[in-house]
Amino acid sequence: MKRKVLSVLLCVMMTAVLAAGCGSDNKDDGKKDGGAKTEDAKDGDVNGDGKIICGYISKNIVDPFHAPINDYAKKTFDGLKKDGTIDDWTGILDGETDANKQIDRADECIAKNCDYVIILPAEASASDAAVTKMTDAGIKVIVVNSKTDSTDDVAMAYVGPDDVEAGEMLAQWVIDNVPDGGKYAHCQGVIGNSAQIQRGEGIENVMKDNGKFESVGDFPCEWQADKAANVATDMMNQYKDELKAIICDNDDMSSAAQKACNDAGREDIVCVGVDGNENPLQMVKDGEMGATVLQDGPAQVEGAIDLIKKALNGEETEKEVMISFVLVTKDNVDEYLK
Amino acid sequence: MAKDKGRIIGMDREKFRMFMGKYGIGVILLIMMVFISVMEPSFRSTSNMINVATQVSINAMIAYGMCLAITTEGIDLSVGAQLALVSCVLGQLISGKGWNIAAAIIVALLVSTVWGFINGFLISKFNMFPFVVTLSTQLIIRGLAQVISGGQAIPITDTAFKSIYSAKIGPVPFPILVLILATFLMYMILHWTKFGRYVFAVGDNMQAAIASGVSIIKTKTAVYTISGLLAGIAGIIFTAKTASAQSNIGIGYETDAVAACVLGGTSFAGGVATVPGVLMGIFIIGFIYNGMNLIGIDSYYQSMTKGAVIIGAVLLDMVMNKKNS
Repeated sequence: MKRKVLSVLLCVMMTAVLAAGCGSDNKDDGKKDGGAKTEDAKDGDVNGDGKIICGYISKNIVDPFHAPINDYAKKTFDGLKKDGTIDDWTGILDGETDANKQIDRADECIAKNCDYVIILPAEASASDAAVTKMTDAGIKVIVVNSKTDSTDDVAMAYVGPDDVEAGEMLAQWVIDNVPDGGKYAHCQGVIGNSAQIQRGEGIENVMKDNGKFESVGDFPCEWQADKAANVATDMMNQYKDELKAIICDNDDMSSAAQKACNDAGREDIVCVGVDGNENPLQMVKDGEMGATVLQDGPAQVEGAIDLIKKALNGEETEKEVMISFVLVTKDNVDEYLK
Repeated sequence: MAKDKGRIIGMDREKFRMFMGKYGIGVILLIMMVFISVMEPSFRSTSNMINVATQVSINAMIAYGMCLAITTEGIDLSVGAQLALVSCVLGQLISGKGWNIAAAIIVALLVSTVWGFINGFLISKFNMFPFVVTLSTQLIIRGLAQVISGGQAIPITDTAFKSIYSAKIGPVPFPILVLILATFLMYMILHWTKFGRYVFAVGDNMQAAIASGVSIIKTKTAVYTISGLLAGIAGIIFTAKTASAQSNIGIGYETDAVAACVLGGTSFAGGVATVPGVLMGIFIIGFIYNGMNLIGIDSYYQSMTKGAVIIGAVLLDMVMNKKNS
């Protein structure tokens, strides 16, 4: 009997907490509204609550490529908060490379009354709901790094790289450095990811017109270095000296593949990939690998934050900003290796 | 809290012990909610509460299935892959073949249920370890998803299908209704039916259960079949949420489900579980994600915090129960 009483009490307490929560929150809202009425809304205050709040939904916080991007965002947003340009930001929200989680993070940005949100989508179509959800709630969304399906229609802007161009640069590097041609393997990223699709397209664009090269296959390696290294050893076994190059969708994979080739005494195999991560850059510097195609991630976020700053100043903003890739070889590696 | 009095908060010590054993996790949930509310007022808003409840509906379905499996001293590792398979089946049928939604959903649920049945049959009939069986079927199921989708993401543009996640009945989004219904049904099945008692009996002491005439094969097969069906429902909600069918989704989703079960007092030794407990575990996991992001805990520390909160909550639960026993 008493147990029942206590359980009822517990329930009452829970509802009370909830109700109290809702009640006081409404009061907060009231205050906010009042404040907004008395003081003129700032330029670029999207939801008109008198506060500029920015959100940042990362793709993930573990990839070597995303770490410097996130660091750059953190540094810049913290700076903006300090000098009063913005009132607050969400901190780096972890997208866990999972569209489902990114949609949940979008909910949180809405709950926090964000005005601007930068998102680095995990998937082209699956993460789209995160973007549309926020734009439906009136948030200005800047999509960075890769587009989602309705980015062109609903987002405030897109800032990113031209991945087809990157694929073309990869293939061109191989053609330039293997003058006699031969067989090459292609290590792919996670299938269905827009970077994977477009880089593959770029490679195909250049390679299909070149009679000297023959593909031995596209291997799904999920951006994973160890899987690319396995492909490298397998292909060296199978095609021996005929294998001349391994093109990888990222340079975690190309550096691992190159290392596998070098370890097998096949320094002649040209491995190349995209991103410009620390390890591949170091290999380029040490002469262990010929080149890597650098995607300037921090520059993309910089572009996105610049757009927010412009909007806050009431300036016109571009709908699309493309950040170029850079071919990094021994000659210019020192500029990028920190 | 257990002093020499013999009575705590006006309750017999024995009754208090039973109460805390069953609902101690609720106290932890409450403490958590109050703590996050104090740290971040926007956490308490009704819309955020609805958000969290909608978000956890996917994990809830998986966790209920997992709870059944764990109660029979097993585990179902195939659920994450089931999400992917259901998603790809839906994508192919709706976007590829232009099927109507109801038919596609029924087929998708059938597929996941059949895989659940296969899990259960292999485990019970051949007495194989659930861990090994579901680890293997996980690979097969994900492979199948990759074959069906051709490794590509299939966008599902059908608005009716997408509205499964976003449609609201009154202020309540549809996934919450599914969550309520599933919770109610699970409670009935586990706590009110003969089958539920068999599940506990099998997990508690299999030899005794056999001796008293419980069919292990039937019970375990049913358990994994239900888990498959629930994973199928989770897959549908997931696919409607992302509006995209792909084979790489749901990786690692068994972890959150297992965590929710453990928080909810489900014992790995088998034979102990309550549906309200698991539900609270599910919400604790949801609040950990939501709360940390709203408070603005650096994401580098979130993973550690998550692990620490789970261990802390289970430990607190254990200590509270031990002190009173």
